[in-house]
Amino acid sequence: MKVIINSKEYQGLPGETLMELAKRNNVDIPNLCHKDGIEGQGRCRLCMVEVREGKKTKIVSSCVYPIRDGLEVVTNSEKIIAIRKNIILLLLLKTPNNDYIKSLAEEYGVKAPDRYVDYKVKENCILCGLCVKACEKMGTSAISLINRGTTKKVSTPYDDPSKDCIGCGACAEVCPTNAITMTDKNRIRTIWNKEFKLVKCSVCGKTFTTDEALQFIESKLGKKEERICDSCRKKIISEKFKESFKYF
Amino acid sequence: MIKENRKILVCCGTGCLANNSYDVYTQFLEKLKNTNIEVIPQVKATGCNGLCEKGPVVKILPDEISYFKVKAKDVDEIVLKTILKGEIIDRLLYFDLNDKKRIVSHKDANFYKHQHKIALRNIGEIDPKDIDDYKKRDGYKALHKALFEMTPDEVISQIEDSHLRGRGGAGFPTGNKWRTCSNYNNNPKYVVCNGDEGDPGAFMDRSIMEGDPNTVIEGMIICGYAINSNNGFLYIRDEYQLARKNMQIAIDSAKEHGFLGKNILGSGFDFELEIVRGGGAFVCGESSALMASIEGNVGEPRAKYIRSVEKGLWDKPTVLNNVETWANIPPIIINGAEWFKEIGTAKNSGTKVFSLVGKVKNTGLVEIPMGTTLRELVFDIGGGIIKNRPFKAVQTGGPSGGCIPAEHLDISLDFDSLGNIGSMMGSGGVIVLDDTTCMVDLARYYMEFLSEESCGKCTTCREGINTMLNILNNIILGKGKLEDIELLESLSETIREASLCGLGKTAPNPVMTTLKYFKNEYMDHIINKKCPAGVCKNLTSYSIDKEECIGCGACAKKCPTSAIIGEPKKPHIIEQDKCIKCGSCFSVCPTGAVKIGGALIESYNK
Repeated sequence: MKVIINSKEYQGLPGETLMELAKRNNVDIPNLCHKDGIEGQGRCRLCMVEVREGKKTKIVSSCVYPIRDGLEVVTNSEKIIAIRKNIILLLLLKTPNNDYIKSLAEEYGVKAPDRYVDYKVKENCILCGLCVKACEKMGTSAISLINRGTTKKVSTPYDDPSKDCIGCGACAEVCPTNAITMTDKNRIRTIWNKEFKLVKCSVCGKTFTTDEALQFIESKLGKKEERICDSCRKKIISEKFKESFKYF
Repeated sequence: MIKENRKILVCCGTGCLANNSYDVYTQFLEKLKNTNIEVIPQVKATGCNGLCEKGPVVKILPDEISYFKVKAKDVDEIVLKTILKGEIIDRLLYFDLNDKKRIVSHKDANFYKHQHKIALRNIGEIDPKDIDDYKKRDGYKALHKALFEMTPDEVISQIEDSHLRGRGGAGFPTGNKWRTCSNYNNNPKYVVCNGDEGDPGAFMDRSIMEGDPNTVIEGMIICGYAINSNNGFLYIRDEYQLARKNMQIAIDSAKEHGFLGKNILGSGFDFELEIVRGGGAFVCGESSALMASIEGNVGEPRAKYIRSVEKGLWDKPTVLNNVETWANIPPIIINGAEWFKEIGTAKNSGTKVFSLVGKVKNTGLVEIPMGTTLRELVFDIGGGIIKNRPFKAVQTGGPSGGCIPAEHLDISLDFDSLGNIGSMMGSGGVIVLDDTTCMVDLARYYMEFLSEESCGKCTTCREGINTMLNILNNIILGKGKLEDIELLESLSETIREASLCGLGKTAPNPVMTTLKYFKNEYMDHIINKKCPAGVCKNLTSYSIDKEECIGCGACAKKCPTSAIIGEPKKPHIIEQDKCIKCGSCFSVCPTGAVKIGGALIESYNK
């Protein structure tokens, strides 16, 4: 499948979305709600591009647009830039104090009209939905998008501590705007109104995850795992490799 | 004077029910039981007659006498005079405000005379709970014809040839939809009815579901046969309790009569139908959100780069049509495509049901051939503007439609013509506005509605509409600046281009069309700090013209804050610091001496 992006030809794979093709070929299409391994959502609308179909051009969101042979795409036309700027403006009005959105606004030269900005707003969430998707992929589905319109937000059921949350922190990890507060203090992790006991690595002694997260993994695996942090685990594996390659 | 086969039809649509028409119905049953009469007339509770404003409506057949605004206490008189003696009770007849005369049969009233009923053909004529009533009026004949005299392919061709377009709003050719879906062999396929009517002021689908549920069911079974699907879902708005009830009764009786279920009428074709209660959100009327809701998910739309005829409900090929579209199917199958095409215009065949509301004399449901002009609808059928005030505009297509100003009064009401001037057909809501409507406030109202009803999935719709609402609120409060217009235009463009679903894409329409046709009103608000319609309180002041005031004191009596002073027969004065700008004086003044002015900036500055 041949796809032309900004006058350059690329080879597309069957079933790929435009965003996947672009990412694979290092073509930059700005986005906030897309992550590898998570299917496109079409929420943030920052990835809008212009595609040509016959004589008509139309504007589509590349993270959910399935590619076809002979597709022609423009990612940086005047129209697209104008749309992107307005979307960044809207996000800036929602989260005027968020560092990431502020840097994005600076990059695109977007300034919000002062009379419509409320600088007291502490909001950081842009409702990209990645946290919900990550939680779903973990198999926990402890958080979801609730309400509608401007009252939409990410939360646990009834904002109560969720029995399904294992405190793994995947949601905070994928968040593009650092909107999810997760604090690790005195061997206690606090996230989504719930406290978790942190577990120490049996090798280096640093805390690395929660007891609930490890139990969740063990129940999925059906066996006990040694409680070792990521970096120690990597060290051990590399030692094993060294050991085995010594004889070659 | 006793007539055989006499029928008394009492309208029991939601509008009339709210005016106690059920009491009228039971009162008739009671009274007739206790009356000495040779042949007791049949009393039927029917669906909506359309002219809800003048309900409850009672029709007496075959005499063709129609009574309006009937109360339970009128029943005795109707039975004694009309039923027993054949006398007509003048005061209950329809009064034509323009011709200044009373009309005996509703069929002669201007409101009904211009109508051509296809989708509404049975409503008001039959008892929706009685399947035999429907059968007597050619009910299920189309199904019989399709199953035994036509191949599925012929059924689809018939619908294609009729050029029927989806009545839900976008006007997509129904036959094309069926054809594409029938070409996919990814079974099971589904047939879905969109009964999630949510536009403010629109109630045509509700009336059909309440008043003639069997026609919707028949249309859906025929589609199931045509596209080879055995399952259908009726997605009905949660608030439409009576529609759900009547629909369920119709489904049950259709099953009993062998029109639904296994081996329909012995043809070997199976079809099951199920009602799904709506999720209570406006956005669930959008096809992909509706399907998500049926599946049990949050009612959020998805990108439709792959159409639902290919991957719809549970990712299976699905035909989704709106209630009114389904109601058109049986007549087309019975009478043929050529018959249907003779009605309406070349590219917009058939009729369209409109709900005519707002500042118009006759409000209600109207079914007219496509291509009827807006002027005919508002002035001939609607009877013109209340109190004969000047016509300002109509809002068509609900919140995502647009305003049409007086200069376009002669526009043909069809999908293409309305689209060309920036409005849309939508599901057929027509709200008539007069000079007391502020267009900026109207746009603000729709933005508020949409910001609450946006599902919030995509940034442009959620944040964009909300930002536009903030800007409009500022303008209404008198804090608007000229650059706000530019910002509104630029955001409208982005929301239209970049939103995920139809709701977002059309959301800026109210602002875009009012900016296009009524920019001077925006300018008045922003530059002159004046609301010409006297709606935006911060930008309105009232004063009394000394020359025109006759000193009758009517305004002073009406004023809730006693802000108007003056001696009898001498010009009165409004004390501005007491005035709360309610506009009572303006509407009560017999000589038009009360004038609407802009914000009193000078007095603020003093």
